[in-house]
Amino acid sequence: MFPYIAKRLALTLLVVFITSIIAFLLVHLSGDPATAIAGEGATERDIAAIRELYGYNRPLMVQYLDWIGRVMQGEFGRSHYLRMDVGTILAQHIPVTATLGLLALGFALLLSIPLGVIAALRPNTLIDRIALWIAVAGQALPSFLFALGLMYVLGVHYRVLPISGGTTWAHFVMPSIALGYYATPAIMRLTRSGMMDVMQSDHVRTARAYGLSPWRVVIRHGLRHAIIPVVSLAAVQLGFMLGGSIVIETIFSLNGLGYLAWESIQRSDIEVIQAILLVIAAAYAVLTLLADLLNAALDPRIRIS
Amino acid sequence: MSSMVTSSAPETSMSPSRVALRRALRNGSFWAGGIILALIVLAAIFAPLLSPHDPAAQNLDARFIPPVWSDNGTWTHPLGTDNLGRDYLSRLLYGARISLMIGMFTVLISGTIGTVLGVAAGYWGGRVDLVVNFLITIRLTLPVVLVALVVVALIGSSLTLLVLVIGLLLWDRFAIVMRSATQQLATREYITSARTIGSSTPRILFREILPNITGPLIVVASIELAHAILLEAALSFLGLGVQPPRVSWGLMVAEAKPQLMFRPWMIMVPGVALMLLVFAINLVGDALRDVTTPEGRA
Repeated sequence: MFPYIAKRLALTLLVVFITSIIAFLLVHLSGDPATAIAGEGATERDIAAIRELYGYNRPLMVQYLDWIGRVMQGEFGRSHYLRMDVGTILAQHIPVTATLGLLALGFALLLSIPLGVIAALRPNTLIDRIALWIAVAGQALPSFLFALGLMYVLGVHYRVLPISGGTTWAHFVMPSIALGYYATPAIMRLTRSGMMDVMQSDHVRTARAYGLSPWRVVIRHGLRHAIIPVVSLAAVQLGFMLGGSIVIETIFSLNGLGYLAWESIQRSDIEVIQAILLVIAAAYAVLTLLADLLNAALDPRIRIS
Repeated sequence: MSSMVTSSAPETSMSPSRVALRRALRNGSFWAGGIILALIVLAAIFAPLLSPHDPAAQNLDARFIPPVWSDNGTWTHPLGTDNLGRDYLSRLLYGARISLMIGMFTVLISGTIGTVLGVAAGYWGGRVDLVVNFLITIRLTLPVVLVALVVVALIGSSLTLLVLVIGLLLWDRFAIVMRSATQQLATREYITSARTIGSSTPRILFREILPNITGPLIVVASIELAHAILLEAALSFLGLGVQPPRVSWGLMVAEAKPQLMFRPWMIMVPGVALMLLVFAINLVGDALRDVTTPEGRA
């Protein structure tokens, strides 16, 4: 197990390192940060002064090494727009996105696992069809449209939930549903196929033959095995959702990383943008690492090869 | 066409592509999706002829006219007008052009990148495979919407840039699927035979491998076409995709968002169009998967 963990850990570090270069280059090559900070009507001299002040006149390589060196000490730089430490800003926004991501994942699991199990136990019945249609609709329905639809029905028509902001738990309900819905098809499919396989296995047949109650067979002897790959898929999906939360957070004005990213993009706050890119990429890398390690711990074949 | 469907020639004596076509024509969702898709494509091609008005022409005296099915609707503007008095039907028709165009060009780019990487990884294996896998991991680690937004915002939005950015981001699934499809082929006897009789590597790749992975390639292309269209709509909805005076369905939804409370149909119209298009592409894609996968031939 240990060599596998070491190898996987090294790969994750390498991936995060490369993505940090990409994040840096994306914001620095896509435009001139000094011009963006100076704003409209700035003279050539103002821009040159800003370039000097922020160190944008140095070679890119030097700037990158300077940035990544400081990031490794926990210093993400300073936002020229908010005039605050980027680290402080991130600390304010990460909990919101983390809460949203976890709630969305919770919603996705609550919806997809029971549906997947029932669909597997009763293939080609009404519930199986409904499960399939939820997946098909999810693929065709753009997330922003689904969010607006929820907003209209629950926020405007029935007025049961607040439509913007993030001050109470109620504010998280619609965004979590809107975000989590997109993780359901994949989780549901995996649960369904896993359950179908395991229900035909010998130990389930034996459990049945022992006369255990159907529920006990399904939960203790079926789902417990089928759920293993679902757990690691859930970790990967959580990573996807952190990246995809930008659309949902913007619609619901939920002040997390995604909304911050959108605002920072509007005001060319590049120090914040590159930090968010790095944080989200790193979170995804760590979550996939956890998923892989979990798989390896449960399935010896993976860690040997 | 009907003679082909009813003809009783055994499938084993036909070429795989012919078998696939035959099965597709007997597949209900292929027809349903195909017809919707064809209608949208025709609407996009003939948008200048079908549009009753100039999609960008403003008329401040005719703002917020409701669609024809509501009480105050008129046939002059069958789907009504928006906040600037622009004809909604004309905007919808022109919006189809943007969606389809961006979708097609991005799939060309991402499909080429992904297929080259995937086939190389699958055929040569070893170090090439390691490198390609690493590239896929890197690509998956980057959040698509965020990266696209950053690039478009900092460089400045144009259709070319939008196509390039989305195309450069969505090649991962092509690479993953093409890689495993090629891996399965690489050990087949006819590939080893080709090598034994001295076929050159390009010949093997283009004459033996590529023709035999077109099935999964088309299926992934349909998935990514839908994906690219949805991504363009999301970027435009966030205000960083297609820019006025060009029309995009995502942009129409964004412009109609303030009307959510009183005129929800303004969001519904472009929204339903978008859903129908993606749904049709998915239907065709699913049907193609069913007819091209080996299990489907049993």
